Amino acid sequence: MSKSLPTPLEGVFRRVPGVRWRQQAERHLRVELSEAENLPALLALLKGEAGYRHLSAISCVDWPDADEFELVYHLDSYTTQVLISAHIRLPAAPGRYVSVSGLYRPAGFFERDIHEMFGVQFEGALDLRPFILTEWGGPPPMRKSFDTEGYVRDHYQWVDYGPEWLAELEKRGGGIVE
Amino acid sequence: MHPDHYRHTELPPSTEYELYFGPNHPGIEGNYALKARLAGDTVVALEADGGYLHRGFEKLMEQRLWIQNIALVPRICVPDPVPMEETYARAVETLGGLEVPERAQWLRMLVLEMSRLTAHLFYFGGHAATVGLYTNMFWGVSDRDRLLDCFEQLTGARVYHMYITPGGVRRDTPPGFLDSLSEVLDYVEGRLPKFDDLFFDNAVLVRRATGTGTMDQAFAIDYGVTGPNLRATGLAHDLRRDYPYLKYAEVEFDVITETAGDAYARTLVRRGEVIESLRILRQVIDKLRSVPGPIRCPLPNPLAWRIPAGDAYTRTESSKGELAYYIVSDGSAKPWRVHVRGPSQMHAVQTLEALCVGARIEDVAQIMFSLDACPPEVDR
Amino acid sequence: MSGSLFRPLKALGTLFEAPITLPMAPRPAAERYRGFHLNDHNKCIGCGTCSRICDNAAIRMVHDPELRADPVKGIRAERPAIDYGRCCWCALCVDACPTGSLSLSREYIHISENLDTFFFVPDEQGMHGFGFEHGWDKGDDNDLLAHQRQPMAEVGTEERLGDMREIVLGFDPQAALVEASRCIQCGLCHDACPTHMHAPEYIRAVWEGDFDEAVRQIYRTMPFGSVCGRVCTHRCESACSLHHRGDPIAIRWLKRYALDQLSPERVGQIASEGRTREKSGRRIAIIGSGPAGLTTAYDLAREGHTVVVYEAQTEPGGMMRYGIPEYRLPRDKLDQDIDIIRAQGVEIRTGIRVGEQVTLEGLATEYDAVVVAIGLHQGRSTRIPGSDHPAVMRAVDLLRTVWSGADFEVPRSATVIGGGNVAMDAARTLARLQRRCFGEVQVHLCALEAEEGMLADREEIHEAREEGIRINPSRGPRRCMVEEGQLTGLETVACLSIFDDTGRFHPRYDEEDARTHPAELIVEAVGQMADIALLPKSIVEQLEWERGRLKVDNDGATALPWLWAAGDMVEGPDVVHAVAAGHRVASSIHRSLQNNRGLTT
Ligand code: SF4
Ligand code: SF4
Repeated sequence: MSKSLPTPLEGVFRRVPGVRWRQQAERHLRVELSEAENLPALLALLKGEAGYRHLSAISCVDWPDADEFELVYHLDSYTTQVLISAHIRLPAAPGRYVSVSGLYRPAGFFERDIHEMFGVQFEGALDLRPFILTEWGGPPPMRKSFDTEGYVRDHYQWVDYGPEWLAELEKRGGGIVE
Repeated sequence: MHPDHYRHTELPPSTEYELYFGPNHPGIEGNYALKARLAGDTVVALEADGGYLHRGFEKLMEQRLWIQNIALVPRICVPDPVPMEETYARAVETLGGLEVPERAQWLRMLVLEMSRLTAHLFYFGGHAATVGLYTNMFWGVSDRDRLLDCFEQLTGARVYHMYITPGGVRRDTPPGFLDSLSEVLDYVEGRLPKFDDLFFDNAVLVRRATGTGTMDQAFAIDYGVTGPNLRATGLAHDLRRDYPYLKYAEVEFDVITETAGDAYARTLVRRGEVIESLRILRQVIDKLRSVPGPIRCPLPNPLAWRIPAGDAYTRTESSKGELAYYIVSDGSAKPWRVHVRGPSQMHAVQTLEALCVGARIEDVAQIMFSLDACPPEVDR
Repeated sequence: MSGSLFRPLKALGTLFEAPITLPMAPRPAAERYRGFHLNDHNKCIGCGTCSRICDNAAIRMVHDPELRADPVKGIRAERPAIDYGRCCWCALCVDACPTGSLSLSREYIHISENLDTFFFVPDEQGMHGFGFEHGWDKGDDNDLLAHQRQPMAEVGTEERLGDMREIVLGFDPQAALVEASRCIQCGLCHDACPTHMHAPEYIRAVWEGDFDEAVRQIYRTMPFGSVCGRVCTHRCESACSLHHRGDPIAIRWLKRYALDQLSPERVGQIASEGRTREKSGRRIAIIGSGPAGLTTAYDLAREGHTVVVYEAQTEPGGMMRYGIPEYRLPRDKLDQDIDIIRAQGVEIRTGIRVGEQVTLEGLATEYDAVVVAIGLHQGRSTRIPGSDHPAVMRAVDLLRTVWSGADFEVPRSATVIGGGNVAMDAARTLARLQRRCFGEVQVHLCALEAEEGMLADREEIHEAREEGIRINPSRGPRRCMVEEGQLTGLETVACLSIFDDTGRFHPRYDEEDARTHPAELIVEAVGQMADIALLPKSIVEQLEWERGRLKVDNDGATALPWLWAAGDMVEGPDVVHAVAAGHRVASSIHRSLQNNRGLTT
């Protein structure tokens, strides 16, 4: 653990239960919350008391072996200038979480994206209608269980080349090496 | 004369109608659709609709070797591909504890700023076109072409350079390159007064862009706006200065701001940044004349890269704003997860939807372009 | 601010500037442009690395039977074909190509309605045969392969001369990992290896830190992994595609490293995987417990046959024990390999010389099949005057005496005749013994060949010199000098050439240029032959011979249906060839037994 934590952060982290943090890189803190439900409180404190007005992104990671989704909230403060990545884990079923778009409007985009790509449900989200995959009927494609190649095999027809040189080569006993 | 069965029907009077913009609108960098509700020619509501360029890059990257992804990442942003390469490489380097040799760092700054120049020139051309100034569009595009020539000399390709690789860059400068680049920079600088005449000081632009798509600083922060668009509202935030990477802490440049927060301010910020980029590039060229190689840190053969397990979030100030990659490695030969956070994800959806409300239909394209909202970056 | 309505008019000034005109012909591309591929077919070795690195699966290897294939040199009759429906011109294929044959050209226009034209095999003439210049090609700055071999730690000359300790120390984990990570998995080593070891697989496993898997891959073809990991002639490394622009992978050292990571028990468990538990009821006798005999035994025992190996010496191993010096092959490592072979159910009866305690005819009645794998244990002589003196020894005899621990009076001075690896073994062994007894080394080595033509490995020559051995190239032996019944030295003359115009062995000497080399002992290391005394005359007559060598077919079968032969006596001296032969013989016997053929009486 690093020694120096910007003062406002010290107080914020102490007030949220189950927060563990460590220095991940220069001016980048990695924060883990043992209870996912405490995240909104942490965000509210960070925004209200430590100047973290910028939600840079929400990233989602699928961990099928643990049956979990990991959500990572990347936050920045234009004053403290220490990046924070806050990590929580959710059970993959039912894959439900609360929206933080009330605190951070950009969450609206990220939650919509994560919902579309991973199938995570965000309660109170601004808009969860499909955005990119409007005409998609399949499962959420960013899940590890979605097999891109298999999908392509099943849904598209493969067209092979048949150039003359290849036909000639095959006549001579050569050809494409599999 | 009406046929016999003709009955004239009275429809209820309507003041509003829906208009589809796109997905092939020329005022847009790439395919994207906007659904506008209009009252007369005023936008009452607007809804962005993406997905026309979705190539599933994030998913594809999970299925490719760490090195193979260098060929994918630049494709996420056509006008400004280099920051994609840089941000991806830096994340892999952070995970793998790789140290980029000094010369490679300068070379990376060189291509990053060259890319910013091409993007801004493209932007001037694009913005000009949305207000009907087509001569300027040709100027922007053809001046950008000179820089693409330089890219071609250095990297062997004009648009998708695939030049930056984890650990460094792929090739050193060819003989005479720094001189020919310097000439192009002088040329671009010499063009600015002409751009001023024809574009920045042109009454058509000034009148159409002033007060169009205006946001204040609070709105910008609230909507996650970054980059030149944020700086056009008076906040001097720039990752190159505030979270310096590569050798940005060692060069002099100013963070350009404007306060009006409208389309005109956004274009002026970029004009200032062209000058700053030229300034940075000249310092970088000076360095490159003396800093020796190597241009890559030692690495195993690319089929056998295994990046230690962990995660990294790296950010770059692209021409459009805050570009970030969140990369997770499970310690294997391929990334476990790559999440691309492009600045346009903020600019092209919620911000655009909000700024267009109350605007006139003819300004929608201009607002979108003035935000430099890039659909491929949204779709990924 | 309202902007100006008039300043834009200044742009009208451009009307007087020269317009930008572009010619209709395609604009020449930059010098390192990434256009369509070029491939120098004389340089390309068909390794397929380009197709493995390609991020778009745009490269498929095509086999052309008319191309030259040479597994020993590491050349496959395959060339890459590029699919321009997929290629993104990243040039990773160029950067990864180990030979530098592949490059991208400055040609970039192809227009056709015929899809098939987008798939082609590039040569130096390029896509349309125009012979465009090279664009992005292999430079020193963009080579993605790691060309430097990890250095191998060795015991210093001073320490190693004092005893027989192993010289090579083996990789440490970091060096092994880095060395393994250099491998590009082309498999040319697999093709070149006489027994086709799965080197890419075990190297990959070492890189992944999975030593169980590495050993499993080794045992697929090699029951003498610890031995070969030390003394193999490593043909694989000469075929390794990395040798074109750098050092080949240290394949042999990685094999040794993998085996050294596991306990002998664990190696034994892995080696026993997949062994048949049912007994076939068939019995096979094998004469000779060298690598050929024991490999045959190992394979047959795993198939459930009863195998008995007869060994004339007191311990099994043949040349591996009685020929190869301990400082190259510690005996506990040899024992480990042999113990694992025994654990498959192989019985080894030592101290039994066929022709004495038992006879070949006897074995023929007792067993279903018999294998002779007796190696080359009889040294050849130069037959120069004085070579019948008792202090003139053959190298094989010297080595056997020393390594069996028999009494041996160490000479104060010695001269070895020969320039091959056996000569080096003899000289270096003597040097160690002298150092131990007298504190100093006085060994000469006289080779017929000039320095460059000497048959020994370069490292052997280099290390022998380090150890104080005087190496005299281009010296032909004339006579052994005997004074009052005592051997005093070897007289040599300068050798001018070895072969005549037709390439036959016919050395020419300069009789004027004579020299003496002091020697209380002279060692002749000029070749070996098989000791076929064990074969009774009746059987010798039924077999076919070719210039003194027993003639066998590809599977080691002789003219007699129950008799096979394998190893050095058939192939010439080399452990890995002997192992390969052992596998072939074993599978031939197994097939024959299944068909009830080849049974004795
Ligand atoms: S990598 Fe080079 S040498 Fe190997 S097959 Fe491809 S072109 Fe030929
Ligand atoms: S240039 Fe890139 S995409 Fe094209 S064949 Fe080579 S590796 Fe594949």
